[in-house]
Amino acid sequence: MEPLSHAFKERSVWALQDETLQVALNRAKDGFAVKRAKAVDALPEFEALRDRAVAIKNHTLENLDHYLERYADAVERSGGKVHWASSAEDARRIVVDICRASGARMITKGKSMVGEEVGVNGALEEAGFEVVETDLGEYIIQLAHEPPSHIIVPAVHKTRGQIAELFHQNHEKYGLTRKLAEVPEMVNEARQVLRDKYLAADVGITGANFLIAESGTSVIVTNEGNGDLTCSLPKVHIVTAGIEKVVPSAEDASTLLRLLGRSATGQDMTTYTTFTTGPKRPGDTDGPEEYHVVLIDNGRTTMLGDQFREMLRCIRCGACMNHCPVYGAIGGHAYGWVYPGPMGSVLTPLAVGLKEAGNLPNACTLNGHCAEVCPVRIPLPDLLRTLRHREYQLRLGLKPMRWGLAAWVWFTTHPRIYRLGTRVQARMLALLAGRKGRFRRMPLAGSWFRGGRDLPAPQGETFMAVWQRRQRGRK
Amino acid sequence: MSGGREQVLAAIRRSLGRGALGADARAALDARSGATDSAPLLPELPKGTPAQVFRTGLEKVSGTMSELTALDEVPAAVAGYLAGHGLALEAAVAPSLETLDWAGAGIASSVGPTRGGDYAGVSLAWRGVAETGSLVLLSGPENPTSLNFLPDHHLVVLRAQDLVLHLEQAWAALRERGADGWPRTVNVITGPSRTADIELTIQLGAHGPRSLHVLLVD
Repeated sequence: MEPLSHAFKERSVWALQDETLQVALNRAKDGFAVKRAKAVDALPEFEALRDRAVAIKNHTLENLDHYLERYADAVERSGGKVHWASSAEDARRIVVDICRASGARMITKGKSMVGEEVGVNGALEEAGFEVVETDLGEYIIQLAHEPPSHIIVPAVHKTRGQIAELFHQNHEKYGLTRKLAEVPEMVNEARQVLRDKYLAADVGITGANFLIAESGTSVIVTNEGNGDLTCSLPKVHIVTAGIEKVVPSAEDASTLLRLLGRSATGQDMTTYTTFTTGPKRPGDTDGPEEYHVVLIDNGRTTMLGDQFREMLRCIRCGACMNHCPVYGAIGGHAYGWVYPGPMGSVLTPLAVGLKEAGNLPNACTLNGHCAEVCPVRIPLPDLLRTLRHREYQLRLGLKPMRWGLAAWVWFTTHPRIYRLGTRVQARMLALLAGRKGRFRRMPLAGSWFRGGRDLPAPQGETFMAVWQRRQRGRK
Repeated sequence: MSGGREQVLAAIRRSLGRGALGADARAALDARSGATDSAPLLPELPKGTPAQVFRTGLEKVSGTMSELTALDEVPAAVAGYLAGHGLALEAAVAPSLETLDWAGAGIASSVGPTRGGDYAGVSLAWRGVAETGSLVLLSGPENPTSLNFLPDHHLVVLRAQDLVLHLEQAWAALRERGADGWPRTVNVITGPSRTADIELTIQLGAHGPRSLHVLLVD
């Protein structure tokens, strides 16, 4: 999809002012964090499993060519076909060609973030296919013509009223005209509509949470069962997967599975964990006749060779965004591309360029919570800082910001002047604030105060001054 | 698309700063049991028999279970379940369970895959996993995958001797099946279908079965 990350600031302001969105975000905010904490606390081995997961991912990345070849050979042995896509464009073309060759008309899709990344849906629709997303959240945002706002719950930004309205508008053509109000009846109606789509589909496309090199197996994790109906009912199954999804063995995948569900939704194990290997076997009474895997690079090999290699450990659990105060305040759409939150703020600039998405790494308080909860210990704040550094070196930021930073650098490298300056400032600001102890406005900083924020005034002394006084007192 | 393969592999090797691995290095990697080349870290399970631990895991995810003493009791137990849920005594049955006396229990059974017209499907699990209360089902002529997903009620027969503690034991057993060890699909199922996609409200029966009932046969 066309990135909108350059408009991050404007989009954040809209998001903060969108009352419906704020209601939806507030509902989500604590739910995920609490569920994850409970699940993690109940598993004493969790920290040790994280270490294992890091080791598994690092080892695989160091030998990525070998494990991908092993995986691809195993897929071919099981009767499947592997396609290699260097770019998003390659991936789109490969998927469209497979669908054309099979004479398909209707295509069902399970949720695939890499599919969103390379824009599979748009390409298929342009080629004249009917494409139906089957994950309930993805289905909702497809009806709304929106991108996902969260990688696990794509429609988390929607309220039930909005969803009822979408169903009302779009389900009339199926003879379903009643306007719904309750969650169970909405889920049921979607189940009814999508059931017919599964049965009529010619091709099913899913993503992959893991690829097992040893056996040529792709693994998907769902709760709804939509991925299974998508990959077992149509006569062609296409798996789209980033090349970093491969792991050596089923045991390695099992270690990662213990972390994935708990980190994402607080589940010990998601409802359906499905391991598919090739097309239907002789004698099988169901299953697809063709099985294709599209292995997608799209910038991943570049990350492998630079300081962002650690990002390739990401298993797309969403814990980082569930614990991010910035994501919690503005939701996923403000980020302007496919991946939001901390992981998205690293991936988006790498995928679409710092010129487009330079604001994303700056929209981080460096509180470190994302790294604390990341199951594969990706140092997200460090990577975001690296991107900020890169942005500064490339002279991409806004001029006032760069000048401000340059001035800051000068002061901090001249400590005497810095200390004198801050001492004078602290005293002046304390005097100016008077008894109220806070500011409601300040010259040149108008925008900071917009929306009702105020600034606590300094107490009159700098930290350094207080520290020195205390040290003297101690002696 | 062999050009694509070489292109991606070459890009990986460039980034890793080395050429293709030699035959010895590749053989050494293939000889490993996995990425960490050590026994998997298996979480310690709560106290109790495997069946008890399995039941706890299953009930945690809204699954239900009844315990039987012989395979012959399965049709009557299925009939009891259907009657208890106010359903007609009809079920789509996996060929692996065809030989049971369904008619004797008053059940009109259809054997083989389903296209969605059946309210209840009965399958045979290959393994059960105590750690999470999960069922492992293998696809094949004897066990059509559609039975696991299309019926509203999924009933699964699990033999007590097929209960393992962790998923890893199932993988070891799968390897022992030999060269064509992996069937088209291995479904690891943990509870009935669910979604939280509308306002994070958990709702059972999103696209798959609305309820999952295990018949554990000793």
